[in-house]
Amino acid sequence: VSAAMWGALRGARRPPPPALRRGLAKPAGPRSVRQLREAEEAAPVFQYAGKAAKRKDRIFVWGFSYSGALGVPSFVKPDVGWKKPRRIQTTPYRLETAEKISSVACGYGFTLLSSNTTDITKVWGMGLNKDSQLGFQRSIRDRTKGYEYVLEPSPIPLPLEKPQQTRVLQVSCGRAHSLILTDSEGVFTMGNNSYGQCGRKVVEDETYSESHLIHQLKEFDSTVVQVVCGQDHSLFRTKKGAVYACGWGADGQTGLGHYNITSVPTKLRGDIAGVNIIQVSSYGDCCLAVSDEGDVFGWGNSEYLQLASVTETTQVNIPRHLPFKIGKIKEAACGGTGNIVLTEEGNVFVWGYGILGKGPNLIETAVPEMIPPSLFGWSGFSPDIRVAHVRCGLSQFAALTNRGELFVWGKNLRGCLGTGRMEDQYFPWRVTVPGEVVDVACGVDHMVSMVKSFT
Amino acid sequence: VRGPRFRRLKIGAGHRLDVKASGVFVLGIGHGNKLLTDLYNCHLTKVYTVGGLFGKATDDFSDTGKLVEKTTFDHITREKLERILAVIQGTNHKALLMHSNIDMKTQEAYELAVKGLIRPMGKSPPIITAIRCLQLTLPEFQLEIHCLHETQQYLRKIVHEIGLELKSSAVCTQVRRIRDGVFTLDDALLRTQWNLQSIQNAIWDCQLKVKTELEKTLG
Repeated sequence: VSAAMWGALRGARRPPPPALRRGLAKPAGPRSVRQLREAEEAAPVFQYAGKAAKRKDRIFVWGFSYSGALGVPSFVKPDVGWKKPRRIQTTPYRLETAEKISSVACGYGFTLLSSNTTDITKVWGMGLNKDSQLGFQRSIRDRTKGYEYVLEPSPIPLPLEKPQQTRVLQVSCGRAHSLILTDSEGVFTMGNNSYGQCGRKVVEDETYSESHLIHQLKEFDSTVVQVVCGQDHSLFRTKKGAVYACGWGADGQTGLGHYNITSVPTKLRGDIAGVNIIQVSSYGDCCLAVSDEGDVFGWGNSEYLQLASVTETTQVNIPRHLPFKIGKIKEAACGGTGNIVLTEEGNVFVWGYGILGKGPNLIETAVPEMIPPSLFGWSGFSPDIRVAHVRCGLSQFAALTNRGELFVWGKNLRGCLGTGRMEDQYFPWRVTVPGEVVDVACGVDHMVSMVKSFT
Repeated sequence: VRGPRFRRLKIGAGHRLDVKASGVFVLGIGHGNKLLTDLYNCHLTKVYTVGGLFGKATDDFSDTGKLVEKTTFDHITREKLERILAVIQGTNHKALLMHSNIDMKTQEAYELAVKGLIRPMGKSPPIITAIRCLQLTLPEFQLEIHCLHETQQYLRKIVHEIGLELKSSAVCTQVRRIRDGVFTLDDALLRTQWNLQSIQNAIWDCQLKVKTELEKTLG
């Protein structure tokens, strides 16, 4: 019995169930070319971007951060223990925004971002708010008080009649006031009004901080298409080509023929009467306007030789034509002490005082000097590079090429140039931004740029 | 008397060219080796044509390596590629100015920058002075790259990074040096011309070019 039992057990090797049957194993070895090719063809294909992938719009900020103007609260008050407060952001830093931003403006320590959406929230502001230049930002801790510094892009409530139809076209910021241009409801102004720069009557001993007042300006000869803030004055350009101004006039920057304060926007005369102006620019106390024929007109402060080509006086209170023979002018920008223009051929001319961009030897000039195009990347290898836009901060200049590159030069106040270094830059230097720069706004010690991603 | 004319030649090589690449390779013979060090100190640019293929990524960035990933590439257009190349050229131009060790605050730095003559005259990481796309027929493309202090593997890495930047992947199929300083493809000898007479003629033709270039750069 035992022998038969053992034999039955040993012999009864049941075949394994069909699912677990294995073939004989093949020896391993270096894979042949055919095996490699088959493995390659069988590998999965990943898709990171489809054919209709859109390019994303981004905002990059850099410069002095303690005023909150960069909109990154962790630079001022770190939210995590290992982070240290960052006083200066020397290279471009990405700012996450809720909506696609269409217009940016940098003031003296604060920034405004606006989107042309029809949602309720159209404008965001960050930075200094001691004169309510960002509107009333209600404090969470005490509902009756407002914030003096806004560290994050916070919505600015506008008293619109039709909030879901009106679109915000453009924003502009001065020293302590800001202007918001809408398409159908005129111009909204907020902030300091001690010189009438907000377009309303000056009230004596008015406290501007924590003020809810936002003034609306509607009476112009036609729709306003551009608003520009100087240091303590405002300029409005209308569709018919006229220019209106209000605010401080002690340097003649209102261009109205006197040196007093103007608190109601008044039309400018002088050499621009009857001329169709297509662009106005100002940031300090000097102003420039470009006509559709390519002529440039200037008024305001001339202590730094900005208008010395037409007059010896240091204040010009009526617009004067600047007879430069440099070609038809397409765009102009004013800084605190220097001016820059862009001609139709794509050449850049600078004049005034300060670091003008032609090396340390050129400190001041009354006549425009051209900056060689080779400094903007033009060469025999890439001959179709042109400068497309020029912008000015208080003592910096910025130029955008048609390839989307950003060049900056001037005084590097608290790292505002974005080059990664703290030294002043005497000739145009590229700023490395991961994307194609569409527009840039320059402030006193910070800059904000609108960038499209590559793919 | 019969026998080989030259015995025991001292031959020195110019800039390296690795096994998978091809093109102009400069050699110095005998007393020419001294000129080789002078040419190295001139820091002249070299020009390469680099061929690439979209859709694959390998571990050594060339098409003979082990496959890492396959991606789609139908979203790539010539415009996007040129944008990426413009940015590469821009950042490398910045690196060029920074490594040239000139104080940016002086007037002479400004004058040299205007003329485009700023170049690192010492050791520096690889810098691309100019890059452009010669042709793009998906999935293949060809670039012309002017560079300094580079290695061919660095150029393959650049091709891989261009692929990544375009949200796809790329491998390098061909690296060919078409100019090394003053020596171009026309001066180069083919495999069939590696005989005494052609070598002597080639040396004779290039002597004048090398002398003028050395005088111009090293003074």
